[in-house]
Amino acid sequence: MTLLAMLLVLSVVAHAQSRVITGQVKDEKGNTIPYASIGIKNTVTGTISSGVSADANGNFKIDVGSSKLIVVSSTGFKEKDIAVPTSGSTITIQLGTTSQVIEEVVVTALGIRKNRNQLGYAAQQISGDDLSQSRGSNFASGLSGKISGVEIRQGNGMGASTNVVIRGNKSLLGNNQALFVIDGVPVDNANTTNAASATGRVNDVNARPVGGYDYGNAAADINPDDIESVTVLKGAAASALYGSRAANGVVMITSKKGKKGLGITANSGVTFGSIDKTTFPKYQTGYGAGYSQLGYSKSIDGSPNVGFWWKDAFGTGSKSSVVPTTEDASYGLPFDPNIMVYQWNAFDPTSPYYKQARPWIAGANNPFAFYETGVSTNNNIILTGGDDKAGFKLGYTRSEEKGVLPNSKLLKNNINFGANYQVTEKLTAAASVNLTKIEGKGRYGSGYNKANVNQSFRQWYEMNVDMLELKDAYNRTKQNTTWNWADPTNNGVLKPIYFDNPYFTRNQNFETDNRFRYLTNASLNYKATDWLNIMGRVSLDSYDEEHEERIAVGSVGIPAYTQYNHTYRELNYDLLATFDKNLNDKFNLKALLGINMRRTINNSTFATTNGGLVVPGFYALSNSVNPLNVLPTDEVAEKIAVDGYFAGITLGYKGFLTLDATGRVDRASTLPVNNNTYFYPSVSGSFLFSKFLVNTPWVSLGKLRLNYAEVGNNAPWGSLSDVYFKPAAFGSATLFSIPDTKNNPTLKPEQTKSKEIGLEMSFFRNRLGFDVTYYDTKSIDQILPVAVSTATGYNSKYVNAGTIRNRGLEVSVTGSPIRTNDFSWNININWTRNRNKVLSLFEQSTNLQINQLPLQGGVSINATLGEAYGSIQGKTWTNVQGQPWKPGEQKLIGANGYYVITGTTNNVIGNINPDWTGGIYNTFKYKDFSLGFLVDVRQGGNLFSLDLYYGMDTGLYPETAGLNDKGNPSRNTIANGGGLIVPGYTADGKLNTTRVENISSGYYGYERNPASTYVYDASYIKLRELNLTYSLSKNLVRKINPIKGIDVSLLARNLWIIHKNLPYSDPEENITSGNIQGYQSGAYPTTRTLGFNIKLNF
Amino acid sequence: MKKYIIIVSLFSVAACTKDISRFNEQTKSPGIVPASTLFSNAVKGVTDGLTSTNVGINVFRLVVQHWATTTYQDEPNYDFSTRNIPQGWWARMYRDVLVDLKEAKRIIAADITLTDATKKNQTAIADIMQVYVYSILLNTFGNIPYTEALDFNILNPKYDDAKTVSDDLFTRINADIAALSITGVGFDAKSDLVYGSLSDVARINAWIKFGNALKMRMGMVIADVDAAKAKTAVEEADKNTFISASDNALFKYLAITPGTNPIWVDLIQSNRQDFVAAATLINKLNSLGDPRLSLFFKPNDVGAYVGGISGTNNTFSGFAKVSDNVTVTNYPALLLDYVETEFYRAEAIERGFAVTGTAEGHYNNAIRASIVYWGGTLLQSDTYLAKPEVAYTTAAGSYKQKIGTQKWIAFNNRGYEAWLEYRRLDFPALVVPATAKSGFPNRFTYPANEQTLNKVNYTDAAAKVGGDKVETKLFWDKN
Repeated sequence: MTLLAMLLVLSVVAHAQSRVITGQVKDEKGNTIPYASIGIKNTVTGTISSGVSADANGNFKIDVGSSKLIVVSSTGFKEKDIAVPTSGSTITIQLGTTSQVIEEVVVTALGIRKNRNQLGYAAQQISGDDLSQSRGSNFASGLSGKISGVEIRQGNGMGASTNVVIRGNKSLLGNNQALFVIDGVPVDNANTTNAASATGRVNDVNARPVGGYDYGNAAADINPDDIESVTVLKGAAASALYGSRAANGVVMITSKKGKKGLGITANSGVTFGSIDKTTFPKYQTGYGAGYSQLGYSKSIDGSPNVGFWWKDAFGTGSKSSVVPTTEDASYGLPFDPNIMVYQWNAFDPTSPYYKQARPWIAGANNPFAFYETGVSTNNNIILTGGDDKAGFKLGYTRSEEKGVLPNSKLLKNNINFGANYQVTEKLTAAASVNLTKIEGKGRYGSGYNKANVNQSFRQWYEMNVDMLELKDAYNRTKQNTTWNWADPTNNGVLKPIYFDNPYFTRNQNFETDNRFRYLTNASLNYKATDWLNIMGRVSLDSYDEEHEERIAVGSVGIPAYTQYNHTYRELNYDLLATFDKNLNDKFNLKALLGINMRRTINNSTFATTNGGLVVPGFYALSNSVNPLNVLPTDEVAEKIAVDGYFAGITLGYKGFLTLDATGRVDRASTLPVNNNTYFYPSVSGSFLFSKFLVNTPWVSLGKLRLNYAEVGNNAPWGSLSDVYFKPAAFGSATLFSIPDTKNNPTLKPEQTKSKEIGLEMSFFRNRLGFDVTYYDTKSIDQILPVAVSTATGYNSKYVNAGTIRNRGLEVSVTGSPIRTNDFSWNININWTRNRNKVLSLFEQSTNLQINQLPLQGGVSINATLGEAYGSIQGKTWTNVQGQPWKPGEQKLIGANGYYVITGTTNNVIGNINPDWTGGIYNTFKYKDFSLGFLVDVRQGGNLFSLDLYYGMDTGLYPETAGLNDKGNPSRNTIANGGGLIVPGYTADGKLNTTRVENISSGYYGYERNPASTYVYDASYIKLRELNLTYSLSKNLVRKINPIKGIDVSLLARNLWIIHKNLPYSDPEENITSGNIQGYQSGAYPTTRTLGFNIKLNF
Repeated sequence: MKKYIIIVSLFSVAACTKDISRFNEQTKSPGIVPASTLFSNAVKGVTDGLTSTNVGINVFRLVVQHWATTTYQDEPNYDFSTRNIPQGWWARMYRDVLVDLKEAKRIIAADITLTDATKKNQTAIADIMQVYVYSILLNTFGNIPYTEALDFNILNPKYDDAKTVSDDLFTRINADIAALSITGVGFDAKSDLVYGSLSDVARINAWIKFGNALKMRMGMVIADVDAAKAKTAVEEADKNTFISASDNALFKYLAITPGTNPIWVDLIQSNRQDFVAAATLINKLNSLGDPRLSLFFKPNDVGAYVGGISGTNNTFSGFAKVSDNVTVTNYPALLLDYVETEFYRAEAIERGFAVTGTAEGHYNNAIRASIVYWGGTLLQSDTYLAKPEVAYTTAAGSYKQKIGTQKWIAFNNRGYEAWLEYRRLDFPALVVPATAKSGFPNRFTYPANEQTLNKVNYTDAAAKVGGDKVETKLFWDKN
């Protein structure tokens, strides 16, 4: 905001000075070159301010002000600096053609820059500006839709983790997330959310009493404003040099570097978030608390409404109707303002409604009212500078996010410093340090967990409750004054039964966390000769984090305090020699030889109080009711060492044929000593065939790529030899148990093999281009704890087994349909289709369950033989022959008028994989305005909604209280014209005509419908990003020394879900990142953000 | 040239690092533990399973209609697949109990610090617990993996015929009883979670009685299909097993978490209100004027003993609930007790087995012991036994009905045992809820994951037991 004020002051003092030059751009033969770019170049710093485009006839007009130099460029021609004539205003500029059509340089593995034309594999690059312009706090989510072959799934929670999978899931049970690398240094992207909350469930026995927060993944520590560019290496051939971890593809980040002269860029922005109503439940408003209109009291006892309790509520000796507060459902009596009843707050002595019977009506404010407006601010300044010998950058970013839930906040502070110095002509030293501190408070609870308010809002709730009355009650008492009393009339003891007041949950049972991270490296580069370069580097990725979780005294759950401390260190030592030599005028040889030593330490401890808290509100382990030392230990101390030796060779012939080969040997500490070394090669070739298309000038570029690669991988830490598991002690008896997973000392390395073919072409001087890639990868001999019959005494055993194949097509299209002086339109389309198939599993098993803990709803996510990875299994309908139902068949209705459901839970009822994903990014520029928007599409794939599985049963949604075929309210009794007929057929093949009641829970939801009912199509079309930027007129800005440019932007994210098939929720929402996708429970609504940003260049 | 030498040596220095396998050492978990810690864990594992009221673990109180549920009606309606209950029960027994006992036996055998007598004793006690657990599996599922079970090299264990397994368990229990000797000691007092309060010698004798009580139960289970074997087993056991309640195999839960009784965890600590007394039991206790009514349960909010209907919604406040005696943190659990051995003796006499005493005498002993165990008085039991509908001579029906009805009452809070005896004796009549998903469950279906992980053997076993359905009767369930 201070920047905004400064801007206003400066613009007032601005005044204009201008000098207009007109001209024409021609080639060597004197033909005009259309649409060349003309920019103004700073003679001191060499920086180019964006200028104008020539028209179709090569004519341009530019206001050069007081500048001395302009620069003219056009694709296919050599860039040329032209001094501004001291007098006159018309010039003609001639450009020479370049030997190659385009000379785009791509950053490839190990940070080696290669000419795009020589690449034999797919590598897509995106500029940092394209990622950061929407000002999202996690840059990974900014990749969505902008790169083909990459599937991004992001949760809607504040700071939620982002799932980044490149070219499909390759590992059955292992990590499928892409590797992140900054300036050649791998960055840990662990998601330290605990396993129980990853499945959305906390176990009942021996489980952590607290849990269920998505702590995000560590790549969120990367500062989006420090990113110069991102290259995504999709296939194994591109990434083989990074070793084992790169089998899932690499997201390679190049950070900003110091430049000659002084440059300052500052951003200041604010965004406001509010939830998208289409991703939140609509509620029925006709019926209130209860699972049934019958049965909470008896008319013979004098109860006027058997759907209410009939109780002596206040010990006065006379009975009255009381809302059944224990019933977390809305299948009770129809609302009727003439009925007077005691609600939950009639029992709260501080309530204005204390001891007051009130009309039986729907709550004035439903849970939508619980959500607030989120506010995020982001301020960033980056300073770059340097001279002939040295360069540096220094950046600082502070972003603060206040979420859409009460009492939520995420603060990130980030400092980047990098410097390089040329010690001698041959020796360069460089170092950088990146410090990030993230502090979270009140992250959103996730999954089926009391910490997640949506568990109640979407599944278990009473429509007679007014959300703002709950807010008032909490603010009045700061106690857990809930709508869900165990029994308020019972001896005056007020305690909750299943659900806390959501305001109490957010304000008392909140978590706090912090992570302090250093990413640092130091390197020496020695240019031995003009063809030999040697680089040595030491880098450290290090973080310490702490999670603290609380359950306050008075909550439904057992009061508790838990503390998780995690330390991660990864040291990489690199030594790399590179050769680059023209052997003769036809052959060029590039080669590299390198060593990488990786040492990882991963330590954590988890501790929790035992049996409750002694002093309310005091959160320390010492405040435990019972001793801590009997609880299960949860200490982790993992060390991993991997030594890699690698070599690569690139042979170029006449600039149009390139052959590239690499090989790497890894030795890993996690494999058996006698089998811990493994080699893997890659070979790729490219053919620039446009070189021979001289007679088709409309083809600007044509290149064919072909490659084959293997990547080996090692075992998870500690999977070789057996140890004992230590459960909680029983008094003085120490207990030990055989662990659930049997280790295996005979594991061998696993392998991914991939083939890829690609075609890149561009036309009409690059006004149109495409890149098509087909790939086929197979991951074989996977190391995984394969599920075994528990009659073995184990859940699983580590083996080498299983093959997954991923085949897919990636298409990127770029185009500039319109390009004139004032107006341009650029379009970038990415489309990905991945086909995944599980080809083999262990021995005779035909299925591997991916979720290790059971999922609510009796469903599971699986790798099923012959199916795509991620099949959703559960109960389904039966057909009239009594077999599991298949699409197109008739569904069988039993004698009771309801579906006959399979007894088996292993029916495939969906699959999480989309048919295809895509994105269309459009940029329009008109004079100083630019408008960019991204439409992000996912077609197909399924998800299971536990929210609707339960929430339909409890009668929260409008569908459960509609009209029946007779036009009467279905919740009337059948005798009164209500009731419903389950659509289906009886065993004799006739249409079902049995009418069943809908006056109690059961017609909808889980009780009488199989899980397959609540499997939905997860397709969506989203207007993901929208940016409107106004670059303040150059004429204006130039006068405001020292400012060189001011951009004012209007930014929006998740503005509009154009299409989806999942009701009341966002199909993209997940519980957390990882392999268990396609499952929603307590889903968060989408947050629409809208904001402003000001960018100043000095 | 010098600089190239430097470069080459740099690379070779980096290439020579030490053995890196030490990085893989698991320093936070032990590789060697005492056998007794595994034994204790196994005993606690099976006891927790039998004691729990969690609908994801133990549903037998609901099946035998001792308890009913307030809101969630899946399990009272015999829907055991939504929460994968058979899978959990099976995994608990094999993965959490049997394999630990097997490992304990392995460690004992290899322990050079133990005398032969002590080795034999500890092995026998661990094996008795294995027999105890296998018989639970046998009586829950029918054919089960046995000869190929608990072997990590056989990942698809075959299912053995239930009767054959049962015969082998008799061989084992006989050998175990014979092996126990007071010349050695058993597990130490701290680790023996059943008889740890006894002296070394008394502990061995207690395990001999325990083994015989188990043998008696196993014998009675097969009485309808192999009367001869049953007769031998029960007659042998009769002389060597429990003679009073002081012999009871009690698992003494602790007063503080996490060693508390799971009932307290599920009913009190959780704050939930899921269970009420079932009308089936409450009505029977009311009609008999049973002194245990107020010991089993506490009345509803208006002081009345009203039971909830199994399979339908029941408002918590309107019905009787589990009594406060049962919901204390350290309420003990029973693995085997004198009440059941007395009922077995009564039945054995009716079956013509050579057991001392009369059926009526043992029947009376069992009921008296039950009432006293629950906190009633001998006077109350005498009054009760004098009632014509209770007195053995005048109570209605066959011995199966008399014993079955009283056993079903005495086994309140021991859902699994009540279910076992109900299937054996078929009394009292339980009403299948109108909304039930199946007929009365005579067994559990096999775990869902066996269908995929051990498909060939599963399919074979399903056919051999007569169809993998809950209604299928087990081999000993002939009537």
